[in-house]
Amino acid sequence: MTTPTLFDYREAVGPDIIEELTILASHVGNRSIKMVNSTAVGGGVAEMLRRVVPLLNEMGIQTAWDVIEGDEEFFEITKRFHNALQGQEDDFQKEVFEAYLANNEKNNKTDFDEDLVIVHDPQPAALIHWHQKRKNRWVWRCHIDLSNPNPRLWEFLKPYIEKYDAVVFSSALFSPQLAIPQYRFYPAIDPLDDKNRDLEDVYVEEIFAKYEVPRDKPIVTQISRYDPWKDPVGVVRAFKMARKYVDCRLLLVGDKAADDPESEKILAEVREEAGNDPDIHILLFNPSTATEINAFQRGSDLILQKSIREGFALTVAEALWKRRAVIGGAAGGIPAQIIDGYTGLLVHSVEGAGLGIRRLLNHPDFARELGENGRQRVMDEFLITKSLKRYLLLLLGLDRPMGQTIFLR
Amino acid sequence: MSTVFQFSSSASLEMLTGKKAFDIEGLLHLIKTCSESSIFYHTFSAFMKMREVQLPYNSDFAIWVYRSLNEKALAEKLMVIDFSEYNNVERLRNRLIAIIEDYVRQNPLCRKKIGDDPFYLYDVRRVVYLTDKFAYDLASFRDAIAKISIYSLYYHFIESRLHTQLELDDFSSWIEESLGLSDLAQKIRKIDISVYTLEGLRSRVIQVIEEYL
Repeated sequence: MTTPTLFDYREAVGPDIIEELTILASHVGNRSIKMVNSTAVGGGVAEMLRRVVPLLNEMGIQTAWDVIEGDEEFFEITKRFHNALQGQEDDFQKEVFEAYLANNEKNNKTDFDEDLVIVHDPQPAALIHWHQKRKNRWVWRCHIDLSNPNPRLWEFLKPYIEKYDAVVFSSALFSPQLAIPQYRFYPAIDPLDDKNRDLEDVYVEEIFAKYEVPRDKPIVTQISRYDPWKDPVGVVRAFKMARKYVDCRLLLVGDKAADDPESEKILAEVREEAGNDPDIHILLFNPSTATEINAFQRGSDLILQKSIREGFALTVAEALWKRRAVIGGAAGGIPAQIIDGYTGLLVHSVEGAGLGIRRLLNHPDFARELGENGRQRVMDEFLITKSLKRYLLLLLGLDRPMGQTIFLR
Repeated sequence: MSTVFQFSSSASLEMLTGKKAFDIEGLLHLIKTCSESSIFYHTFSAFMKMREVQLPYNSDFAIWVYRSLNEKALAEKLMVIDFSEYNNVERLRNRLIAIIEDYVRQNPLCRKKIGDDPFYLYDVRRVVYLTDKFAYDLASFRDAIAKISIYSLYYHFIESRLHTQLELDDFSSWIEESLGLSDLAQKIRKIDISVYTLEGLRSRVIQVIEEYL
């Protein structure tokens, strides 16, 4: 598929949204952005940049994308950073911080003279250190949950972060106290990519047939890694509770990280809990195919995301965009997407999930209404076009004083 | 002679303040100390943020008090604030404070309640811009209302009151001043924004105009 243009989004998001983006872009004028992250492929940030960068350029914002380089040791360190910033214990030694800084310095080789430099996540965050006398603006876009960071690491990293002009977080839940302005950008899905674009019914049929999942009764699906925080065992239990009252199938679809002993363990627990139940289908991919995931979501009657702990969980937005009724655990970014009783059901326990399945499968009209409302919520907040709008607003606000409405004439 | 109405629109970038409240006293403190734009954002942006949600959720303060603190009577009192009575944000802030303080005096036990989730205080950077939609007379105005974005509708019917410090929405002002239709303007001012979603508001404005035409 060729890269979609802004015009291609008109049908999916509405022409008025595209018109307003164009107007805002015309006010931004001749500005430039540099995006900096640590990987060109794989992972949510790279996926998002792959779509956002060409669209910003199309709107006349000269947008470059630099990927920092690093050896295995550096990325081992930043993986530890990633986990520790999300609360994992780690006893960082001075040498680790030195190696991290040395790598950032090594990457400080290109020009950073764009009007706005947006540095994504912790890997390149210290680049700011070599640009303290800058004339342009630097923003740190943090995609991870920083609400409970490892104290030692945060003590090291925070002074670098506070050198930025502003920070962007995905949720108020993820943000720590900082001395610089903080913005909230929700993460977004792309309605035109393979994971979300419209599919022919016949293709959806084919995929269910390919994986031998009969569509003879309602299908309840969770698409998630086999990870304890996604609670796949709880999903099986909730399904069993519900099936005493409603006949249905459970479909678990998940990627398995290579040589990840934790996921092997969870998968074994899921299989044990499922037993030989012919209505429970456990699929394992390495990795999955985006259009097939799309088909699983579209062909399901109900989507679960029964997480106990979450990042933002854009799988919820993906399902809502497809007008699916979703039952989500009240964790991380899920409550921002699911307004309980309006755009889905929020649950706090296995029992709550079981009851939710019974409720929605017995009241398909209510489930449809939740799905419709959910699509509207995604349309309003969680689409790539909204991300573009936020970047334009960020540019428009760069040189203007805080606290005042900006009137563009 | 009527003047042309050029529709504007607005867009907001939400800012995290890092401030939060866990109980009613904390909320009161935030309301007393936050910026005017925070007050306006939390009072009216629910129209934008949850436009698929029907009544009674039309204010973040009310939603939190209702859902997280489970003080339903206070939520109801906050929800029925008639904002057409408050022509600037400071007066609105004082009204919110008075309602909460009065309620806490009468229900002192509510001080001990901790919310299920904290109330996160936001601020906002707002950008207002002109669109390419125009109205020249009542018929073209009606047609344009059907086509403008919800952001434009929100701006003219709700947000512009913040800038102009007027009790009136832009639509009824233009209809009265430029078209000289005071009776229609009055009907539009009577539309109860507390009971509509933005799309509902759009339909209602169109309906009132069509009845007039």
